[in-house]
Amino acid sequence: MKRSAAILLFTLGAILGITAPALADGDRIGGDVHVAQTLGDRDLTVIIRRVAEVPGPVHVDVVTHAGSPPGELILTARAAGAATSTAKVVLGATPGFYSGVVEVDRPGPWELAVDEATIPFVVPALVSSPWENATYGGFIAAGALLFLALLFAVFGKPGLALVPTAGVIAAIAVGVTAALLSPSIPPVAAPGTQLDPTFGNVNDPYQRTSTVDFSRPPVNLVPTMKGEDLVLSLTDGSSGRPVDDLLVHDSAFVHLVVVSPSGNLRHLHPIRTAPGEYRARLSAAEQGTHAIAAEIARRGGGVQLLRSSVEVPGTATVQANDGKADLATEIREAGRPTTITARFGDRELQPWLGMLGHMIVIGPISGNAVNAPIWAHVHSMIPPTPGMPDRPDESVAAYGPDVPFTYSFPLPGRYLVWIQVERDYTIVTVPTVVDVPAAKGVSGR
Amino acid sequence: MKRHVLVALAAVIAVAGAVVVLWPRSVEAQPHLAESGRLRFVLTPASTRSGVNSFDLRITDRAGNPAQGDEVVVEPAMPQMGHAIAPITAGPSEPGHYRVGDVGLFMAGQWEITVSLSAERVVIPLLLT
Repeated sequence: MKRSAAILLFTLGAILGITAPALADGDRIGGDVHVAQTLGDRDLTVIIRRVAEVPGPVHVDVVTHAGSPPGELILTARAAGAATSTAKVVLGATPGFYSGVVEVDRPGPWELAVDEATIPFVVPALVSSPWENATYGGFIAAGALLFLALLFAVFGKPGLALVPTAGVIAAIAVGVTAALLSPSIPPVAAPGTQLDPTFGNVNDPYQRTSTVDFSRPPVNLVPTMKGEDLVLSLTDGSSGRPVDDLLVHDSAFVHLVVVSPSGNLRHLHPIRTAPGEYRARLSAAEQGTHAIAAEIARRGGGVQLLRSSVEVPGTATVQANDGKADLATEIREAGRPTTITARFGDRELQPWLGMLGHMIVIGPISGNAVNAPIWAHVHSMIPPTPGMPDRPDESVAAYGPDVPFTYSFPLPGRYLVWIQVERDYTIVTVPTVVDVPAAKGVSGR
Repeated sequence: MKRHVLVALAAVIAVAGAVVVLWPRSVEAQPHLAESGRLRFVLTPASTRSGVNSFDLRITDRAGNPAQGDEVVVEPAMPQMGHAIAPITAGPSEPGHYRVGDVGLFMAGQWEITVSLSAERVVIPLLLT
């Protein structure tokens, strides 16, 4: 009897000991979605916060920038078969964060409408991975079988106890193998980044497909003017169908750069108004041929730059970018890295589109930006700062004053360059001109 | 006698375990729901394997009444390949119920099935194995 009690205690200790390690890496469930939107006369950043539980609330922050008129926005969350939820956000006159809360009742593909702009987003499901299930299942089965073996042993059937004991060894082997291998198994792609999101694949992200290359064909861009709005029509380069699978990259669906005939730059983020149709307002635009370039990323990966031009029947008045900064340039010949550092007063810059600064490079210029061979968008990254969040939003005004950019100008000649940063919720655009000398000798590269 | 019972029990447990592990999962075709501004589309494919397929389509308005319309147009396309096939039209077998037969989806992967009835249009992603 004493011996049985000892075996029992030992076994219970063993069960508790082996079921203790909890290996959970499956609770990574999306993050905040930041989308810049040029909505009418407003330049907004819409932040869809991480969804903590489903059904539950989705917190939406709308960040306004300087010059954005006060007013009201209607937020609407909708999905096929789900109840529509709306909220009103009252925007004040001061730039900053304004929030609203909408409700979602299921994981899957959703759409957030902000007035006439629609933002597709995915509410992820909390799904445990197969190896997590194998780990827990293995250890639980081992515990149950061990208990069975113990019962056989206690009731004087040591021969029969061998069967569940073999099961214990097998179950522990399964659990330990899954636990040890799970850190080296790559996580599954976030739903909606490779395949079109559906209720099925959001709820079962471990579904297997035979597809290995998820990339999609190039896109054709047709710009037209409708009143003051620039309308972009995006169609698939292989099938001609509307392109409705743009991913948010660098905090926008489309990064649209428009350069007027006199060299005034706008960096806009068109809103999605229909499948394959995006629009942005060009208020008080200059008359003439504007050079445009759109950066997009389709589902499946890869960023594309689409260049075009559009006739704008605007006004004759010329507007110029009027940002000021002290520029320190270290210009090297074509093909070698040139560094341009802009210094903006104090340490008070805010991240814009997830970056400290943006530099647009167009050139070499011979007449017009439309036919310049080079069009580049250079980033200045946010330096990792102790005590600061990894991906700070615009409320963190603590960066700078130096904003460095490094770019290897591929061709010699004169380039138009604009540097953009955010300060006091205002986008500051600093124009400059860079003359790049030709490479010296044959060993230039 | 007791030994026979035990052997039989062990066999049953082994078979049950094998069935749980090896049971083919989710090849059953699920209905896919999509909504446009005024209509609600439910598409159920006959199969989730590549090959000749057929679709059962139920189209109602948002209140649940059968949709009115002469013919429904189905445009299958494969976004990764940038590959579209000729559209297929079908008339209603009863109000709001359409059967679209002989749809040749010859490649495994995700398809986008665009379904339109008069001016209302939805895109339904469909994964084939």
